[in-house]
Amino acid sequence: MAEVIQRKKRDFHHVSRGANAVLHTIAAIFSFLCVFPFLFVVIISLTDEKTLATDGYRLIPAKWSLEAYKFVFQSGDTLLRSYGVTILVTVVGTLVSLILISLYAYAISRKSFRYRRFFSVFAILTMLFNGGMIPTYMVVSQLLGLKDTLWALILPLAMNAFYIMILRTFYSTSVPEAIIESGRIDGAGDFYIFLRIVLPLSLPGLATIGLFSTLGYWNDWFNALLYIDNPNLVPLQSMLMRIESSIQFIQQNSANSSLSMAALQSIPQDTSRMAMVVLATLPIIFAYPFFQRYFVQGLTVGAVKE
Amino acid sequence: MAAFFKNLIRNKVMLFMVLPGAIWFFFFSYLPLVGTIVAFKQYRFNREGFWASISKSEWVGWDNFKFLFSTNDAYTITRNTLLYNLAFIILGLILSVAMAVLLSELVGKTMAKIYQTGMFLPYFLSWVIVGYFAFSFLSMDRGMINQILGWFGAEPVQWYSDPKYWPYILVFVSLWKSVGYNSVVYLASIMGIDKSLYEAAMIDGASKWQQIKNITIPMLSPIIIIMTLLAVGRIFYADFGLFYQVPRDSGTLYSVTNVIDTYVYRGLKTTGEIGMSTAAGLYQSVVGFVLVIVSNFVVRKIDKDSALF
Amino acid sequence: MSKGKKSFSFALAMLTAFALVLSACGGGNKDAEGSGSGSSGSSEKPVNLIWYTIGTPQKDVDKVMAEVSKYTQEKINATVTMKMIDWGDYQQKMQVNVASGEPMDIMFTSAGGFDYVQNARKGAFMELDDLLDKYGQGIKDTIDPAFLEGSKVDGHNYGIPANKELPQQEVWRFNQNLVDKYKLDTSNVRSLDSIEPLLKAIKEKEPNVTPFAMDKNYVPYIPYDYIIQNLPMAVKLDTTDYKIVDILETPEMKQALTTMHKYYQAGYVAPEAATTGSTSDLMTSGNWFMDRAQTQPLADNTWSASYGYPVKSTPASDAIITNTSVQGSIMAISANSEHPEKAMEFLNLLNTDPVLRNMVDSGIEGTHYKKVDDKHIENLPEGKNYDMPSYSLGNNMLLYLNPNDPDDKWEQFKKFNAEGKDSPILSFNFDSTKVATEMAAVQNVKEQFWASLMTGTVDPETYLPKAIAAFKQAGLDKVIAEAQTQLDAWKAANNNK
Repeated sequence: MAEVIQRKKRDFHHVSRGANAVLHTIAAIFSFLCVFPFLFVVIISLTDEKTLATDGYRLIPAKWSLEAYKFVFQSGDTLLRSYGVTILVTVVGTLVSLILISLYAYAISRKSFRYRRFFSVFAILTMLFNGGMIPTYMVVSQLLGLKDTLWALILPLAMNAFYIMILRTFYSTSVPEAIIESGRIDGAGDFYIFLRIVLPLSLPGLATIGLFSTLGYWNDWFNALLYIDNPNLVPLQSMLMRIESSIQFIQQNSANSSLSMAALQSIPQDTSRMAMVVLATLPIIFAYPFFQRYFVQGLTVGAVKE
Repeated sequence: MAAFFKNLIRNKVMLFMVLPGAIWFFFFSYLPLVGTIVAFKQYRFNREGFWASISKSEWVGWDNFKFLFSTNDAYTITRNTLLYNLAFIILGLILSVAMAVLLSELVGKTMAKIYQTGMFLPYFLSWVIVGYFAFSFLSMDRGMINQILGWFGAEPVQWYSDPKYWPYILVFVSLWKSVGYNSVVYLASIMGIDKSLYEAAMIDGASKWQQIKNITIPMLSPIIIIMTLLAVGRIFYADFGLFYQVPRDSGTLYSVTNVIDTYVYRGLKTTGEIGMSTAAGLYQSVVGFVLVIVSNFVVRKIDKDSALF
Repeated sequence: MSKGKKSFSFALAMLTAFALVLSACGGGNKDAEGSGSGSSGSSEKPVNLIWYTIGTPQKDVDKVMAEVSKYTQEKINATVTMKMIDWGDYQQKMQVNVASGEPMDIMFTSAGGFDYVQNARKGAFMELDDLLDKYGQGIKDTIDPAFLEGSKVDGHNYGIPANKELPQQEVWRFNQNLVDKYKLDTSNVRSLDSIEPLLKAIKEKEPNVTPFAMDKNYVPYIPYDYIIQNLPMAVKLDTTDYKIVDILETPEMKQALTTMHKYYQAGYVAPEAATTGSTSDLMTSGNWFMDRAQTQPLADNTWSASYGYPVKSTPASDAIITNTSVQGSIMAISANSEHPEKAMEFLNLLNTDPVLRNMVDSGIEGTHYKKVDDKHIENLPEGKNYDMPSYSLGNNMLLYLNPNDPDDKWEQFKKFNAEGKDSPILSFNFDSTKVATEMAAVQNVKEQFWASLMTGTVDPETYLPKAIAAFKQAGLDKVIAEAQTQLDAWKAANNNK
């Protein structure tokens, strides 16, 4: 009897060996499918341009080459400038949105705030009904005059009622009212309590919101599509869109004018495009495995309680 | 009145805290809402600025909406938006849950972690990059798929000009990007299920399959229902990037790739008729609003805490 | 109850506060505008003119414009900021810029890119009759009257046309390096069908070269004149009854599209042509064999100079004077311009002053080009950082000559202009305001079918009927009927003259 239970217990923990192999295979294949396109693009970027023209995109190219990366780095200041724009927008944007969201969410989570209902509704309404792309475009470009400025990349993504609701829930579940009360008894002001007590306690929540926000800024191309014409303010993703039609975007905006006509004629056009894609993706590839769990939390933290 | 100011002063710190956010909402959410009245106007820019442009444009009543519904466009974009989203929701749900259950049953947790990390990758990539990925497979003369077709002696396919493949391509790409992420989220919930339930089932002699059917899925159902209803509430809004970047804005494909969001954007770009494009956007907002309200009502019935409001 | 009232009064207070913020914002703008326009009238502060023009953005634009501004500030107390928008994007970006009121003073417009007549009617441009009289005497004296006359809309000028070639003639351009390498004969080429042997030869011998280069705006040439550029309404060039037809239903177009599709399938056309915004990558790399372009006298020299390798061309059509060619390059003053007078002064200077005109065209002497003699110039290596399209920047006949150009280049232009044949519908301008919604719908249909049909990407057997039906459904027949009525009236009026 004991032996039977023993065996069953193993059954509960483990599927049979054969089934386990099948499951592993399925998961491995799916996981590989998710990563494969990136690897493929890396391979394309390392292919010799001429080989590419005759053979097409091959998994194992007949001839490898680093020319594309050489070219990209030679005229590298375009790539660097776009990196700079993206990093600046991402950092400033994340900070701005964290400040706006955490303050707003905290205020409407406090029962002592007389107008909390009003401001809760004020935020929630924006989730239900929006003016849409064109009126927003008109406000940003005409009324606020943000066209061709970095603010046009930062501000439209700075707030989001959904994040406010997530964070409000987080405050009310993970910051005990008693702590705030004790702070108050000690004579601390609301702002002091927020900074010194509430913020430290809600770091995990803030980290989650902050990372979502970071990802949003890093991957944004839509606002650049609408608002940015100046080639010097083009973020990475948008630059990738522009070189789709002409790789010369890189060279035209490069301060390195030593490229001769002959050099221009031998630009490895297709492989350079893919090299840019690889270079724009690398930071994410390296960073995301470390932050995975926050992204999983994102949905569970606020929207769904266990 | 005096009491009112007194209240303001008493709440000044909190008011100060909400102020920046409230200003943001005002400019980026409420003013555009006011701007939607150009859907009823023939919009002409006026050099006096934003307000003058709106107020001095000529009223045209429902003409802009008539335009939208007089052509096939309204039907096409509504159908595309709804059907694609429906496919994404249903197939996405089935695959994500299946993958989550599968991951939870794996023996060898290190491998499971590695798989998860791999599956998670597409979620972090922008649509621009996914568009490049798709191109490396679908390019007519160089793409991998046409090369593979070539091995079997098949004719190369003009992927970017033949609409009949795109419903499948778009669904595939969308699932590719989202299933990994969603399954990891579901997996987190499965991990939270009380282990003693399984032990009890096991003592009753339940098979693995029975355990999944009778314990895992029912325990997951609240989060499944809520995630699904949230998605249903957004069913009238399409993922602009998917429909704009992946088909490379190819005109021939519009019949199967044009959704409300891309239609609004293209209206602005090709005809410059701001009134007409805004009308299409307003149509989306109104129907979308109704759907959000209805789905939120349903969520509330199921789990009050999960409702948005 | 009282709680509700309070929160209402609070909402009211919030609104007032925001209204204050808002009016402060608006007021800020007003002030800025006020000081800007005020200075132009009274003080010595120079006015800055914002100038949108077509072409691949060049690296040294700002540098050259700084020089230009020094010059213009001295002459007319104005400085210039130039904004370039790439060929494929110009139409769409300008549409949005104008609709949303981006600040601008001068903009490029033409029959083909950012439609001159339609936008003049929509009120995008300032009517220039008075300004021309006041500040544009030089323009009136130098520019061929056929241009000024041909660019009138409803009897008024809305832009300053560039003095250049008057007729429009299509040519096949060849990358001469490849022609020489394979000793190909291009002398007998003219029709779309006649280029096939050449394309075939190149495809076989140079698999890495795109035999027939084109972007998504390519349209095969057939002898019709379009009512509006690139919308399927046209009149046959040798028409007698002045009937407007749907060009997609003509046998010539069907034939041309079938040929294009054949070329596409044979791999002569780049697979992604229908979504390609620019062929500039091909032009830089020289990996193309032929394409189609509009010519002018001695164009081969210009092209060769700008690409850095020999380009030669042969005619693909007659030289016809059409609205498209007369309105092929116009500089308009924005209806929202704050400084229309200065803008006109600038345009006058640009069209009459060789120093300014050449600076805008070729950049800075000693940096971008050097003088060979007093008429001819040569590009320096830096020249590629400022490689501008000459046709879109005002009076061509003031320009320095390319090294190989004969001294009588502009005489040849005048001869070419005199020899061009008039299109039957020259100077008829369609007013589409009555069918505005149909026009918008037709535009949408065009986006869907045009590029893939014209580049041969899709089979006309199946797609041409689909496109024709879709255009009909969008109301093309109604638009054509309206255009026909106007054309008949125009014809009656013109015959009476």
